[in-house]
Amino acid sequence: MRKESSVDWDAAEAVDPVTRYLQKEQRLETPVARFAEAHATESLRTEAYRSLIPLTAPQKGEQYAFEVNLDQCTGCKACVTACHSLNGLDEHEAWRDVGLMQADAPAAYQQTVTSACHHCADPGCLNGCPVDAYDKDPETGIVHHLDDQCIGCQYCILKCPYDVPKYNKRLGIVRKCDMCHSRLAEGEAPACVQACPNEAIRIVKVPTESTGSEEPDPVFKGFPQGATEHGYTQPTTRYLSKRGVPEAAQAADARALRPQHLHGPLVIMLLLTQFSVGLLSAGYLLGSRELLFAAAASCLAGLMASGAHLGRPLKGWRAFVGWRHSWLSREVIALGAYMPLLAATLLPALNFIAPLAIGVGLVGVFTSVMVYHDTHRRLWQFSWTAMRFYGSSLLAMACGGLALGAWVGDGRLLSLALFGVVAASLFKGAGELSFAKRALSNPEPSAERQSLRLQWGPLRSLSLLRWTGLVGGGLLLPLFLLIGNWGSVLQLTLSLALIITCLTAEIAERMLFFRGVDAPKMPGGVYS
Amino acid sequence: MSTLLKARPQQNSLFRSWQGPLTRELVQAPSAHGLGRLPERLQPTATTESVCGFCSTGCSLKVHLRDGEAINLSADPQYPVNRGMACPKGWEALAPLSAGDRATEPLLRGDDGRMRSVKWNGALSVMVDRFRRIQERHGPDSLAWLGTGQIPTEELALLGSVAKFVLGIRHGDGNTRQCMATAVTAYKESFGFDAPPYTYEDFEESDVLVFFGSNLCIAHPILWQRVLRNRRNPDILVVDPRATETAQAATRHYGLQPKSDLSLVYGLAHLLLKKDWVDHSFIRKHTNGFDAFAEFVQAFHPQRVSAETGLSVEQLEQFAERIGCGGRVSFWWTMGVNQSHEGVRVAQGIINLALMTGNIGKPGTGANSITGQCNAMGSRLFSNTTGLLGGRDFENPQHRNEVASILNIPEERIPDQKSLAYDQIIEGIQEGRIKGLWIVATNSAHSWMHQNGLMDALRQLEFLVVQDMYASTETAQLADLILPAAGWGEKEGTFINSERRIGRVRKVRRAPGEALSDFSIFQLIAHYAGCADMFRDWDSPESVFEILKKLSRGQPCDISGIEGYSALENQGGIQWPCSEQMLSDAGGKVAAQRRLFEDGRFHHEDGRARFIFEQPRALPEACNVDYPFTLLTGRGTSAQWHTQTRTAKSDVLRKLYPQNTYVELHPEDARALELDPGEAVQVRSRRGSVRAVVHVTPIVQPGQVFIPMHYPEVNRLTFPVVDPYSRQPGYKACAVCIEKTSSKDLS
Repeated sequence: MRKESSVDWDAAEAVDPVTRYLQKEQRLETPVARFAEAHATESLRTEAYRSLIPLTAPQKGEQYAFEVNLDQCTGCKACVTACHSLNGLDEHEAWRDVGLMQADAPAAYQQTVTSACHHCADPGCLNGCPVDAYDKDPETGIVHHLDDQCIGCQYCILKCPYDVPKYNKRLGIVRKCDMCHSRLAEGEAPACVQACPNEAIRIVKVPTESTGSEEPDPVFKGFPQGATEHGYTQPTTRYLSKRGVPEAAQAADARALRPQHLHGPLVIMLLLTQFSVGLLSAGYLLGSRELLFAAAASCLAGLMASGAHLGRPLKGWRAFVGWRHSWLSREVIALGAYMPLLAATLLPALNFIAPLAIGVGLVGVFTSVMVYHDTHRRLWQFSWTAMRFYGSSLLAMACGGLALGAWVGDGRLLSLALFGVVAASLFKGAGELSFAKRALSNPEPSAERQSLRLQWGPLRSLSLLRWTGLVGGGLLLPLFLLIGNWGSVLQLTLSLALIITCLTAEIAERMLFFRGVDAPKMPGGVYS
Repeated sequence: MSTLLKARPQQNSLFRSWQGPLTRELVQAPSAHGLGRLPERLQPTATTESVCGFCSTGCSLKVHLRDGEAINLSADPQYPVNRGMACPKGWEALAPLSAGDRATEPLLRGDDGRMRSVKWNGALSVMVDRFRRIQERHGPDSLAWLGTGQIPTEELALLGSVAKFVLGIRHGDGNTRQCMATAVTAYKESFGFDAPPYTYEDFEESDVLVFFGSNLCIAHPILWQRVLRNRRNPDILVVDPRATETAQAATRHYGLQPKSDLSLVYGLAHLLLKKDWVDHSFIRKHTNGFDAFAEFVQAFHPQRVSAETGLSVEQLEQFAERIGCGGRVSFWWTMGVNQSHEGVRVAQGIINLALMTGNIGKPGTGANSITGQCNAMGSRLFSNTTGLLGGRDFENPQHRNEVASILNIPEERIPDQKSLAYDQIIEGIQEGRIKGLWIVATNSAHSWMHQNGLMDALRQLEFLVVQDMYASTETAQLADLILPAAGWGEKEGTFINSERRIGRVRKVRRAPGEALSDFSIFQLIAHYAGCADMFRDWDSPESVFEILKKLSRGQPCDISGIEGYSALENQGGIQWPCSEQMLSDAGGKVAAQRRLFEDGRFHHEDGRARFIFEQPRALPEACNVDYPFTLLTGRGTSAQWHTQTRTAKSDVLRKLYPQNTYVELHPEDARALELDPGEAVQVRSRRGSVRAVVHVTPIVQPGQVFIPMHYPEVNRLTFPVVDPYSRQPGYKACAVCIEKTSSKDLS
């Protein structure tokens, strides 16, 4: 039947032809399903992929892994789109990517590289997850993400050296490749394997023991730019190439400058909790309830900001679950303990627990340092991060003293606090300069150098703000205040200006901390 | 299939959720359509097949339908072309249909210069009226149209017929001029008909595959699949100035100087002759003009050719040896040859190599042009632009008579002169001879060479009609009238692919708003021009297919034996020729893979192929001190299609190509210019300037730079030259300079 009941063609013929064609356009004449044929092809399909997937489950001591024959990968990128379409991902979402490596010696060399999750033997995502939303399947070794467990903290994105987990804004969670586990379970090939015209991707069984970093696959070496310890998660993907990958091969985007995500709520959370510890210390030492209140308000605001960072804040209460392995869980626990202790010190009767609160607060800052150190990103290494974070506490402590001294007109306290501001600023500045020195000491491209290029390239205005703030608020204004004999109003104004300048410089410092980090990843394409 | 793996935990606990609504979004279940497991949301209720609407490979896509409407698609495992594979564009073929900037109603430019929506009847009355008035004022040849290789053959035939026989527009050309005209002319002159001789099986049957100017790996990835299926351990030789993806995958890469390929093919012929690696019997029986050719190539001795191509004498000798002693040799070419100031002669030089070595008409051989657009081949036979319907000649009175009687139209309606070519139409506009232009499904303002010149020309028109899926293309923005068209997937018809396979295209979506299929638009235009009666028999694409069968009868492209759409659907497409005689000889079903000239008979009247040759000419725009670099252009990635009007609409495809214009520069040149990767530069030619980001890579040679053609401003740089025989633009080489810009900022 070609006619649909809604359209009377004889009548339509008589009317305006435009109307006739518009009505015709709205008809769909797609044929009925071809069930019989479809069933016939099913076995044909599984037959075609038989050589590309294992036909048995892994034995003990084995796991499933991707095997990519680079000689067969010519960069058509069908794997990316097939994964997207057959797995029903959102429009903008892709779990696989195809990058490019190149070298000019010995001959002009170029090679496309397809990659998805490496289903690591020691997965960074899993170790970092505060809610245990990752599960390494004991049978297959596939690293699964539990979508309903995820709270959307995105720490796994920072933890993965291969930029694998992808945040989905609509759902407020991260999602990633599960090697099409449910297809493999039925003897079907994963979407990417099915779709590769060149049969470059296979699923193989690999021994779980020797996939580690002690015997790195020579082809795999050097893939993620920058991260010197990239192999620490023990990725299981095997890259094969008969023609070999030249020693000089580099990712096409190795020198691309990509400012990273700002993580605004984390900037606020980190600064405010660190300020809180400093303010608490100042309040305790100077016996100032105002500063204690300031410390409590700062901490409370900081913790609230951290909630805003979560894609699914209502699920956030589970964040302590991963305490055995996740520094993020530990941070949640430490700062979670710090807040009530700090609140308690506000009651005059419980003032004696302030040292305990300070101690827990310092531990909290330590866990914050470790959260970033544990990502293995160079800018976030322990000493540099510790100097930033504890420096912020010191600076807040000095500024707290300064505010108090200026308010009550205590000249000695004021001077002492100003020295404190200078000392804290020098301490922080020294940390950041030592990173720059390290970056410049090695003429070869490095993660440190990339960070520095980022900070003084695309993030130049932020860097200028950070350093003028540090020099102005942390050195010049204190000296100005120290050497002059100013009236109390001017003194108070200048002190306020100093505190605001320092605060601005701190915000810029922390924004640079997030945006200016060199994030390791698999080779990308041409970066324009 | 029994379950191989243990079931995963399902039970939620207080602290851990293994299941829930978010997990369910992606949980897969077996589908009933041979598609394997799919997420619940994407389970189809039916499937159908449709040939892809991007390139000329002609892959079949299995469209997943729910309530008759496409919700997803995958590659068709049963089609003889792609065998279950598709490139990213194919996988994302539905995404461009849902783009937010689809044209959904006709738009007419008012006196104030603003576009306003109008009803179809108003739009078409205005179009017919304005065109008529232009013709009255400036003569019948003051109108022209520019068509496409992107719409079904039935629509192309209707367009060409309505335009020429109803509106009296003599000058019509298509964007196929930009991709295939050279191959058309070369084949016509050498073989007597525009007949690419191969079938895709030849990729698998060759011992030596020679690719000239073809980056098959990313331009036709599914054809590269066929190369990899070759079990004869073939030698793969790639001739390309760049060390492309295909060159990387080849066994040998000949990185010659840009546009030195004519010297190269003559030099190879010289060496083949010298070593007597020549099939004398084939030459004697089936060709003309060999002696003159042999005489001509005497001058192309290896030293000379080495100097002209930059290849060493050893490389040339080795190359010739592979052709002469390699067994079955197939020659393949694409845009590197076609888009050239002397492309026709290069293509014929390649054809000469195949003819002199007898590498034609046998499995794994041929001089094979790989086409560009999905229906360039349909356009070549039936668009009624350069050639009269069915591969005929407007200047041939007998041909005009045949068409008039088949279509039952007055013979005087058929022009007795050839149409102007694309570049001549643009020239006509510039010189004020052409005042009205109708552009259908192509984006000239992006794709035509020397863009600034073209834009000025289009602005000079009295009336410009643009018929397109999107009102947002560079060309549509210049239009006086925009006609909103349905896209691939929203209409019916057939495409003809590179290997002459006719395949079905199906309607699996409704066009948005009031957008109409091009077919309906052409019909309506005929109606508003008062000639609806002339096309009474053309009431659907399928009935037009019957007319095309009649038009092809007795021609080399005879398809009169194809029973209809159902035969195409059931047999995985059918290659032309398929005459009634062939069908009955084959017992009702012709073979799925057929190559031409197996009997050694070509389409010239004497049945012989011709050796055609000519002295190479210098690059039209050579480098000098001020413009020291040769700019090459070409395909960027497999995720991009031409001017990106469709591929840029898919989020996933956008992830797969560099977002901003970049220029490939050799490390030596980067050092000399003190440029770092990622730095912004101005690339300047005598015609315009483009801002680009530097990508330092050894795959271009020193002194050469490359910019993909997909970025809209690239053609500000290109040099306006055409091959004198095919009038195809030579996009591939012009002189530019690189200037550092002050800003180093990438963000």
